[in-house]
Amino acid sequence: MRRWRPGHGHGDRASLTTLLPVAHPDADLEGDLAAWRRFRRQQRTAEVHWIDVLYQAYLTAILGIVAVAVLSSVVGDDGLSAGQLTEVRAHGAGWLGAIAAFAVAFGLRSGSRGGPLAMERAEVRHVLLAPVDRTTALRAPAVRQARFLAFVGIVAGSIAGNLASNRLGGSTTAWVATGALAGLTLVGLCVGAALLAAGTRLPRGAASLLGLLLLAGAVADGVDAIGTSPTAPFGDLALWPLRFQAVGLLAVVAAVLLMAGGLARLGRMSLEAAERRSTLVGQLRFAATLQDLRTVIVLRRQLAMELPRLRPWVRLRVRGTGRWPVFMRGLRGLLRWPAARVARLVLLAVVAGFCLRGIWSGTRPLLVLAGLAMFVAGLDTVEPLAQEVDHPSRRDASPVEAASIHLRHVPVGALAQLLVAALAMAVAAAPGDGRLPTAVAAVGLVPLALGGLGGALVSVLSGPPTAGGGWSLTPPEAQGIRLAFRTAWPPAIAVLGVLPVLFARNAIEQGRAGTEGAAPFVTLAIFTFTLVCGWVRVRDDIASWFAQQMEQASGKT
Amino acid sequence: MARPDPRPPVLEAASATKAYADLVALEPLSLAVPAGQLVALVGHNGSGKSTFLRLAAGLLELTDGSITIVGEPAGSSGARAATSFLPDEPVLYDDLSVREHLAYVAALHGVVVEEADLDDLLERVGLSHRADDLPARFSRGLRQKASIALGLVRPFEVLLVDEPFVGLDAPGKTALLGILDELHRDGAAIVVATHDPTFVERVDRCIALRDGEVVHDGPATPTDVLRLVGG
Repeated sequence: MRRWRPGHGHGDRASLTTLLPVAHPDADLEGDLAAWRRFRRQQRTAEVHWIDVLYQAYLTAILGIVAVAVLSSVVGDDGLSAGQLTEVRAHGAGWLGAIAAFAVAFGLRSGSRGGPLAMERAEVRHVLLAPVDRTTALRAPAVRQARFLAFVGIVAGSIAGNLASNRLGGSTTAWVATGALAGLTLVGLCVGAALLAAGTRLPRGAASLLGLLLLAGAVADGVDAIGTSPTAPFGDLALWPLRFQAVGLLAVVAAVLLMAGGLARLGRMSLEAAERRSTLVGQLRFAATLQDLRTVIVLRRQLAMELPRLRPWVRLRVRGTGRWPVFMRGLRGLLRWPAARVARLVLLAVVAGFCLRGIWSGTRPLLVLAGLAMFVAGLDTVEPLAQEVDHPSRRDASPVEAASIHLRHVPVGALAQLLVAALAMAVAAAPGDGRLPTAVAAVGLVPLALGGLGGALVSVLSGPPTAGGGWSLTPPEAQGIRLAFRTAWPPAIAVLGVLPVLFARNAIEQGRAGTEGAAPFVTLAIFTFTLVCGWVRVRDDIASWFAQQMEQASGKT
Repeated sequence: MARPDPRPPVLEAASATKAYADLVALEPLSLAVPAGQLVALVGHNGSGKSTFLRLAAGLLELTDGSITIVGEPAGSSGARAATSFLPDEPVLYDDLSVREHLAYVAALHGVVVEEADLDDLLERVGLSHRADDLPARFSRGLRQKASIALGLVRPFEVLLVDEPFVGLDAPGKTALLGILDELHRDGAAIVVATHDPTFVERVDRCIALRDGEVVHDGPATPTDVLRLVGG
């Protein structure tokens, strides 16, 4: 008789003679689970072709080399001066601690939503609903995930250590080894914090508050407002080749404790959150693979249970058909934004504001970060339009052209984006080091808003890249360039909106008025936004014309 | 309302409540189901039927109140061992055949099964001809049959069934009704959430929910159900 069990036997079999089977009292459920998992893993491994494995390794290597090359060019390899090295010794640990604070905050947020594990949905239903010990059942996938992330952390840390050795001097081996240890510690802090937050059912509000406090402490340490911060030991660890501080070991100990605590409390994680994640995380990864940014945003909101408010912040009366139905529909949507989304936009505005201050102080690369912050904010402020694109059947059933409806959604997005930009500029112009002159902030406000909005409009309306349509006839090289352009263009428009501030600073350095330097780029940003609006209006016509031309070229008509 | 059953309850809810932020999915619900009782849970869409079943199965967490299965809190190890949940949407592995599914789930519950047992069960649900196929490639109805078999291959005292007839063909529905009757006779407590008003003719007790509240608890006819919940 064939036994349908890949592990060891139980002894006497239980009965299935009626429809109500009986469990064997001495059954080793956890042992059976492990045996079945081995069986499934062997089956999956047997189905993987070695050519696929080689191809994946090839792609990973190519991407890795490109990433290292780009990173190397950004970091550069000129050694720091003695003065700069002193600065690094004095403030480096604090700022590197901010990276650890971010990692812990990220982990806490993820854990408060049931992360970092994302199990198969069937595994949640059949394994976690069985009387198997949950801690044991979850340990294997948790360790597997942590092991992979640890590998990534060690590789990334080693690369970072190697790059640091070029600029900071000292033994390359020491920097690479320290980088690997720091990368591993960072992963331990992040994953351990997430596991512990999930296992202790840390409320989301508490996780966010704790994360923000850690970040604030690290930033305060970086700017010397306080003597040290809880995450400074990580910075001390990362700078060991520059100056050995035993306190750096505390970061390693904290990572080990967090991991051990998290793994010990795995069984207490929320099944409800695990079920939600099992469905959404798979879809999220798939959408990210397809570079479908809109789907990623929608799924991320579902994962965070970011639901519109039942009661709007301000209740608008519903009267007849109304004069601006599209605008009012958008406004109603905005007034139902959950507090989490409002908080996110405030945070993005603050980040953009601090980046502007950084640009004004001379750190020009922050231009990109400021633009990205406004772009991400734009993806939220164009939400009513994005929903129209998500659900095209209602729009297409309307007698009004789709492009016209899209264009009518722009004003409400502009209104919200102007509010975000105003807050960013208020932060940028607030008293303190690196503050923007009020005149420059006022002149830069509109382009800052329209840049982010323009980028978001292009991103949402373009949708995910496809190889279909006329582009299927083009060679792979051309498709690759198109793909890169489509990916980079929307954030680039947002960055364009920050240029007035940069050039205002240049003008002041040259002895001219800041507003005078900013003016041409204000015009450029507004002109670009106008072009984007024009594109919104005629893009369907252009697309159909282009498809027609390609069909003619291929001889189909 | 139903008269209290003298038998001890195997499923007991006391002011069980579920809310998502400001949205209440289940108003405080109290009920007790004794062993061997077949209960129909009826109500319109969004009335809270599936929410209650998922709470009892341990898939969702209560906002307030309590649910116990054989005296253990829902979701605890003891309750999980005693509760079989057949969801409205079958959840199956992509890489296991129907037979492997059954053997896996049986093993997770400490049941050692022989191939003949699995054949019998598959015959009962009408899947014996697809026993070695991957259910990932099945139609909705066949997946539902596989899900039913999974719910029955393991021990339980409480069977929670959510919309079992969706996607089933007529022979499949007849087979499932026969299985439910047999389980009922064997002493299992069964709670079936359904939109099918004719099902209440087979049950001991019908609980009607409207907007998360119990509006009827006791015997009912299909006409009563239509009147209570609008079909």
